[in-house]
Amino acid sequence: MSHPRPSGYADAAERILREEPGVRDSVTAATRTFHDHRTEAFRAVDEDAWRSWAREVKSHLLTHLDAYLEEAEARLTENGVQVHWAETADDALEALGRVVDQHDIRRSVKGKSMLSEELGVNEYLEGRGVRVRETDLGEYIIQLLGEPPSHIVGPAIHKSVDDCRILFHRELGTAPDATPEELAAAARRALRREFLDADLGMSGGNFLVAETGTLALMENEGNIRLSTSLPRVHVAFVGIEKLLPRFADLAGFLQILTRSATGQPIGNYVSLLQGPRRPGEPDGPDEVHVILVDNGRTNLLADDAAWEALRCIRCGACLNICPVYRQTGGHPWGWAYSGPIGAILAPGLLGLEEAMPLPYASSLCGACADVCPVKIPIPDLLLHWRERAVEEGLIGHTEALVMKGYAAMATHPDLFRKAGSLLRWIPWKWGGRALPVLGGWSGEREPPEPSKASFQQLWDEGIE
Amino acid sequence: MSKHEILRRVREALDGRPAVDHPGDFESWGTRPEEATFEDAFRAAGGEIEVLADLSEVATRIGELAGDAPGISVGAGVPEEFLPQLPRLEPRDAPVGVSMARGAVTETGSLLMDARDGRRAQLLPPTHLVVVYRDTIHPTLRAALDAVVPDLPSGLGLHSGPSKSADIGQILVKGVHGPGRVVALVVERG
Repeated sequence: MSHPRPSGYADAAERILREEPGVRDSVTAATRTFHDHRTEAFRAVDEDAWRSWAREVKSHLLTHLDAYLEEAEARLTENGVQVHWAETADDALEALGRVVDQHDIRRSVKGKSMLSEELGVNEYLEGRGVRVRETDLGEYIIQLLGEPPSHIVGPAIHKSVDDCRILFHRELGTAPDATPEELAAAARRALRREFLDADLGMSGGNFLVAETGTLALMENEGNIRLSTSLPRVHVAFVGIEKLLPRFADLAGFLQILTRSATGQPIGNYVSLLQGPRRPGEPDGPDEVHVILVDNGRTNLLADDAAWEALRCIRCGACLNICPVYRQTGGHPWGWAYSGPIGAILAPGLLGLEEAMPLPYASSLCGACADVCPVKIPIPDLLLHWRERAVEEGLIGHTEALVMKGYAAMATHPDLFRKAGSLLRWIPWKWGGRALPVLGGWSGEREPPEPSKASFQQLWDEGIE
Repeated sequence: MSKHEILRRVREALDGRPAVDHPGDFESWGTRPEEATFEDAFRAAGGEIEVLADLSEVATRIGELAGDAPGISVGAGVPEEFLPQLPRLEPRDAPVGVSMARGAVTETGSLLMDARDGRRAQLLPPTHLVVVYRDTIHPTLRAALDAVVPDLPSGLGLHSGPSKSADIGQILVKGVHGPGRVVALVVERG
């Protein structure tokens, strides 16, 4: 299997819709549940006040990012954390490799981290002979299947209970008709051994507080608590945009993140970490490393419109409500971040050419903007990247020609009227099927008969 | 140096961009903590609540909750008088862990677990019994964070009910990695 890339979007989406119809059922059901819970959770609070506050804090952070990065590094260092700066994915992996060599690490566990997906941490470690176990139940399922995550929050939402039964029967010897409780218990037993044997625990970082050097992590299962508490070394991958100015800001962000993601008031477990085990503490890691990752984020920050996408706190609400995402799950996007947010991050982090056609994987319905907890203007930014794609000559000649033709027509009223009257006399019932695009649409639908008079004619005749 | 290059690129990117002010402190717009109780919030998160009027009841109740467990693991901060006469086990071998909470949060139904008490006893046993003094319960998360920030340990955990997952076909399962049963024993300080 070739490595998935954004350029394969259309083929991958088509393949899933044709060959794996169960994916659409599973993804649609799961995202509707997430979205319904989100709606319920925000009914209880002043949604607009929360989202506006969160937007302002993140915009403040980003417009002072240099100062906050320096403050965070100073506090982390005081806390005994070793800080690494990584311009690229390779830099980040090299920093990880130095830790692995220094401690002769053979076995590792990892809590769910989308940045680690972006960097390719698992492949890198396995290539060096280090065992890596994903410990989030959903991540564990897809690791056993050899698949990438399909969703930022629920990596295995495209899998049904039956898919898991078959997998666990094969891998863990559970009964073919095991209940979800029995499946989860089998995973708990298998992963408990991994936690106790691992020398290295890895995590991402939901937030990194500049004021205190606190790494904040939120989850529901406890696997991140265990990954950051049991092994003697902890390495955290943190995007430079994940900072928060103050410790007190966590009060808002921890709650907004889970209300947006799953509708819970807060995740079952929050870890607020201030470095390695201290004298007098019974346990905890001996060494903590934070790898601060750029990997394209400063490119995105430099874009006068698209920098707003860096406010993202990875809640997945825009995926859950997206009618396009719901059809296929996240795999067709071909990289770590899928759905509406993935489509606007990709051009900044990967480069626009590599990210094509993701800004087009949207109907521009605008629902994503209504649920974003940090009010990222996602539809505007999709259009922003489409404009840039046209400017840079990255879209097909046909579309450019059609758009140019339409622009010429729409700016010349006489031409516009003539073209309009021509369209009204096409016999749509059978003729429509011969036309490109419309042919596909009218193949399974009864096209309506167009009015014989244009709106302008009706207007001139004095319609009400 | 990666650090200087990243900071240089950040400054270049921000050149000419209007700075945005911090909007000020988060207020709990709408969660109405003054009407809620910690007991309700913790139960809503799937936890169990025991309210004990007297410190002398704690050891007895913990003994009853431990049932026929062969032993318990105990956090470093749990006073001796709270503990029943049961063998002490390592957290990885114990069916029951007993911890002392540093505090609690009504708004989110969370127990504040301090690393100085020991993380393993808080996470490894399938049942977790947590003693929390009534006068350490904060109405909001903001108030709780303000209270702990002057004295942060290496790790502070907010535990809001038992471990849960819906990763297998969206069906909720308890006790996936952390404890599947969590009991908060709320006591009045004598």
